[in-house]
Amino acid sequence: MTPGVAEPGIVPAGDPGPAEVTADRGRHADLVRFLGRRVGIGAILVVGTTLVAFLLTQLVPGDPAAANLGQRAISDPAAVQAFRQQNGLDKPLPVQYAIYLGHLLRGNLGTSQQSHRPVSTDLSEYVPATVELALFAIVISLLLGVVFGVLAAVTRDRWPDQVLRVVSLAGVSMPTFWIALVAFYVVFFKLGWVPGGGRLEPGQAPPGHITGLYTVDAALHGQWDLLGSVLQHLVLPGLVLAVYTIGMLLRFTRASVLEVLGNDYVRAARAKGLPEWLVIRRHVLRPALVGIITVAGVAFGSLLSGTVLVENIYSWPGIGQYAFRSATNLDLPAIMGVSLVVAIVYIALNIAVDVLYGVIDPRIRLS
Amino acid sequence: MTAVLADRAARRAERSAARSPWRQPLAVIGLAVVLAWLVVAIFAPLLAPQDPIAQQNPLFVHPGAQHWFGTDELGRDVLSRVLYGARISMPLAALLVTASMIIGGVLGGIAGLLGGKVDAIVMRLADLVFAFPGIILAMAVTAALGPQLRNAVIAVVVVSWPAYARLVRGLVLSARTSHYVLSSRLLGASSLRTLFVDIRPNVAGPVLVMAALDMGNAILLLSGLSFLGLGAQPPTAEWGAMVAAGAVNFDKWWISLFPGLAILTVVLAFNFVGDTLRDALDPRTARAIRT
Amino acid sequence: MRVRTLAACGAAIIATGALAACGGGSSSSKSGSTGDSLVVESSFNLKTSDPGRMFEPTGLLIDRAMYDTLLTFANGDMTKPVPDLATSYTASPDAKTYTFTLRQDAKFSDGTPVTSADVVFSLNRVANLKGNPSFLLAGLTASAPDPHTVVLTSATPNPAVPFIVPNPALGILNSKAVKAAGGTDGADADKTDKAESALNSKSEGSGPYLLSSYNAASEVVLTRNPTYWGTKPHYGKIVLRNVASNVQKLDVLKGESQIAVDLSPAQAQGMSGVNIVNGASPNLFFVFTNNSPKVSAATSNPDFQEAVRYGLDYAGLLQLAGTGSVQAAGVIPSMFLGSLPASDAVQRDLPRAKAALAKSGLGHPTVSLAYPSDLQVNGLNFGDLAARIKQNLADVGITVNLAPAPTQTALDSYRNGKEQLGLWYWGPDYPDPSDYLAFLPGQTVGLRANWAKGADPDLEAMGTQAQATTDNSARKDLYQQIQRSLNTASPFMPLIQPAQILVSAKSLTGVHSNALWELDLSDVS
Repeated sequence: MTPGVAEPGIVPAGDPGPAEVTADRGRHADLVRFLGRRVGIGAILVVGTTLVAFLLTQLVPGDPAAANLGQRAISDPAAVQAFRQQNGLDKPLPVQYAIYLGHLLRGNLGTSQQSHRPVSTDLSEYVPATVELALFAIVISLLLGVVFGVLAAVTRDRWPDQVLRVVSLAGVSMPTFWIALVAFYVVFFKLGWVPGGGRLEPGQAPPGHITGLYTVDAALHGQWDLLGSVLQHLVLPGLVLAVYTIGMLLRFTRASVLEVLGNDYVRAARAKGLPEWLVIRRHVLRPALVGIITVAGVAFGSLLSGTVLVENIYSWPGIGQYAFRSATNLDLPAIMGVSLVVAIVYIALNIAVDVLYGVIDPRIRLS
Repeated sequence: MTAVLADRAARRAERSAARSPWRQPLAVIGLAVVLAWLVVAIFAPLLAPQDPIAQQNPLFVHPGAQHWFGTDELGRDVLSRVLYGARISMPLAALLVTASMIIGGVLGGIAGLLGGKVDAIVMRLADLVFAFPGIILAMAVTAALGPQLRNAVIAVVVVSWPAYARLVRGLVLSARTSHYVLSSRLLGASSLRTLFVDIRPNVAGPVLVMAALDMGNAILLLSGLSFLGLGAQPPTAEWGAMVAAGAVNFDKWWISLFPGLAILTVVLAFNFVGDTLRDALDPRTARAIRT
Repeated sequence: MRVRTLAACGAAIIATGALAACGGGSSSSKSGSTGDSLVVESSFNLKTSDPGRMFEPTGLLIDRAMYDTLLTFANGDMTKPVPDLATSYTASPDAKTYTFTLRQDAKFSDGTPVTSADVVFSLNRVANLKGNPSFLLAGLTASAPDPHTVVLTSATPNPAVPFIVPNPALGILNSKAVKAAGGTDGADADKTDKAESALNSKSEGSGPYLLSSYNAASEVVLTRNPTYWGTKPHYGKIVLRNVASNVQKLDVLKGESQIAVDLSPAQAQGMSGVNIVNGASPNLFFVFTNNSPKVSAATSNPDFQEAVRYGLDYAGLLQLAGTGSVQAAGVIPSMFLGSLPASDAVQRDLPRAKAALAKSGLGHPTVSLAYPSDLQVNGLNFGDLAARIKQNLADVGITVNLAPAPTQTALDSYRNGKEQLGLWYWGPDYPDPSDYLAFLPGQTVGLRANWAKGADPDLEAMGTQAQATTDNSARKDLYQQIQRSLNTASPFMPLIQPAQILVSAKSLTGVHSNALWELDLSDVS
């Protein structure tokens, strides 16, 4: 759905709000106050999401014991009782939630019923896989989106613009789950340009764990062969995910650049006889970048969840598949863990985008 | 000040004369495709060669003269199913966009107008929804309510109203400080009257443009949920579910290719229309919708 | 789109320097397919590799390769348990005492010899963990009179014991190593045993393979056990990857993998350049009609049940299930002792079904059919079968509303006996007909159809008798009699056993499917 930007990132139409010129003085205090408030609200939101997730899972008309015990064990009261006890399901709901929050404060996310491991261990494995995919997609999208967006803007209403318009709209109209299938079949199976699914070749050992992002870890360890393999596996699912965001950023860049191009100082720069590329780079792109980064931040968030439609086909062991498995197994702690991580990432992204916004465009007051 | 306003108005008039959205080829194409799909949706029983759920043909027939789009894993005619699929996606997308628009619009309007606590509560609620990525929240909601098309629609509404609330709130906030609203309030008009009489006209345009753009997204999200098995259930002919059924057999490509193309064409058509309409708005408003 | 992809690829090259990614031609070296290692792909259902807690298909597959059991099944033959860690066994005439003699040369991977104490520890641990496999040992007690003898005693006659002990969940662990890792076989093992995470990083068995790396979401790597007492397996390394079944097909055709475990008959149809092992699986798909008038006046009516039984188009359902599937003549799968011959299978008889419906006095009833919407068994979709059943019963005059639900929700209503009509499957817990007594009145599955104790006293008496009988031919007769009775009057309609398909590269030999653990990885060469 139309992803939103948390305030005050986006300037609502005609809102006299944040885009005001302020003196330099007090900016740091403003920033600190702003950050403090946003992080505070963010923390409340995070707890809110755990409550929503908890309530939603309670609404599911199913029994975690039934979902996790076998056809024989479920008929054995001792096994059912052992399961409930091990997973704390024998206590009343408010107590369960309170216990969850208590553990959460100590950084304990509970134990997954499907992997029998701490949820935090599961997450530390699956989150980087998805983040790596989404990062790859957003980098590609930013590059292509900005370059072609500027191209579209400077050729406004001429044929390159018209073509790019159709292409970018096609991008945002593409059902991700469908293009993932088509691309996998054609590029991997028919053309053989990329290896099959997964993050690595079968049996290939991952690089030593530093960030969990295989590209970064392989580069840090200087394992160039491994880096090549990682990139080969990353390229197709990454591009499939990027199809939507390239279209989105292209449209947005075009519009932002057009807006800036209409300004007097651009006309002045041109009148001075500066070469066009310099005008674009120095006087157009920089102010336009503010909005582009905001949108890219939002796009990155939506990419994180968009992977759920791609991970299965590309055998990508990421958070999307984990979320799906947890939901179908009624694995409560895992569901809560996923919601928590996703919410934190979203909120952190929004804050980061807002701060960046202020750094790029000093006129913007963080309030 | 007045000079600026006049200048702006003039520029807007100029633009809308030169670039009436309905003269743009893309908008025309988009509108034509949307209308074509509407016709398909309405007249599907007349257009479709077969009953979309009748299992009366051999399984996995290649596309050909007999079955233009082939048959699926249960021997159903894929063409008939694709045509009937329009009867699900088009009206449901319209329904849920309207619902999100009304819910989001009213909440956003109230928040913008009343401000204070109400504003804070509504917007924090919107933030809460934004803090969840759409498809994950929709997955959770449908999992909780049970995987049914109706619940998938509810889930999509749950995740999409805040965007409207944001937009409407912003528009109301800026309108609220305008001269004519201030004067109307000074004359003693009630909040509600202000909202519906003085502010609504300023808000309606952008909101409708957003809704047009949202139609495509709604169809994508709804079919995505069905693809995951959380929306339409068999034997309903729904495009996302059909893509999922076809995905099981890559070499029987026709089962998922055609419903996928159906989604693509409808969404693209809506986006052609919505995008052109957005360009017709003034740039500041357009920017609020763009994300 | 094509132009865009190429452009995107171009940018990707610039962005990452991954020239090889778009370089065209063949993809990179396939480390998996060369020489000493084997790549097997499966759609994972894996929670743990700790035998005491494991009872999922993928767990059974890998644990079979890492842990030895007292007895086992060879070459997929489930009718005859053969020696594994036990060279021989004797059963007392009353089927209450089983004495196993252990082989002397078996060693765990750390070099410690396998003794009866390890066996007793392992079995007690399974029982006391009170997990999914614990029921296997219900009523059984293990003891070790000397280091190479193990005695299993049962409170009641239990002729199924030799068929139960081959289960990989009853794999024998190195008791010393497991205790060192926090394991225990005490009565409170469900609360105090901490060995699971250790067992998920290092196996402690005496089987042909060792656990080299374990990731329940993506990949499990096994390496050859150098101290294995039996025939040295051909492959030094086996990589088992988690891949969706549609992709498995592409991978095995492309040579990315050598064995695909989860293909459906429709997927395997028309594949060339590969070997296809295709046989009926022991999984039984069945329909039940709820026997409680409180749940439905229609489905509890015996005439209605007859109308359903003869209204279903078994041949059509079989066609839907694909090549290699067989119609289930009774509830006991065709490869087990006591199964009914195919000639006993119920055939569709529409006039008879319509007559029965007319006799029921229900008119044209409407009932709902519940099934798990997101579950696939042997690549077969419950939704597809349900859609066909709806059509079948419409021919009789019964309107069926489909009531799909995600497995966890559906299981809840199924196990609580709330479904009017249900479409479910039963997988064997062990390959012995006694596992199927669960379908009798008052038993596990019977109760799900609200078929209470006392509903059919004759049938129940036969069940009790079958459980106590030890002679194989007498058992066979009794179980066949039981199934004929179920086919005459009961809330259960067995439908099909879907095909179990293994697709493997042409060069491989020794790929044979197993009803319990899919395939013997160590036999592949």
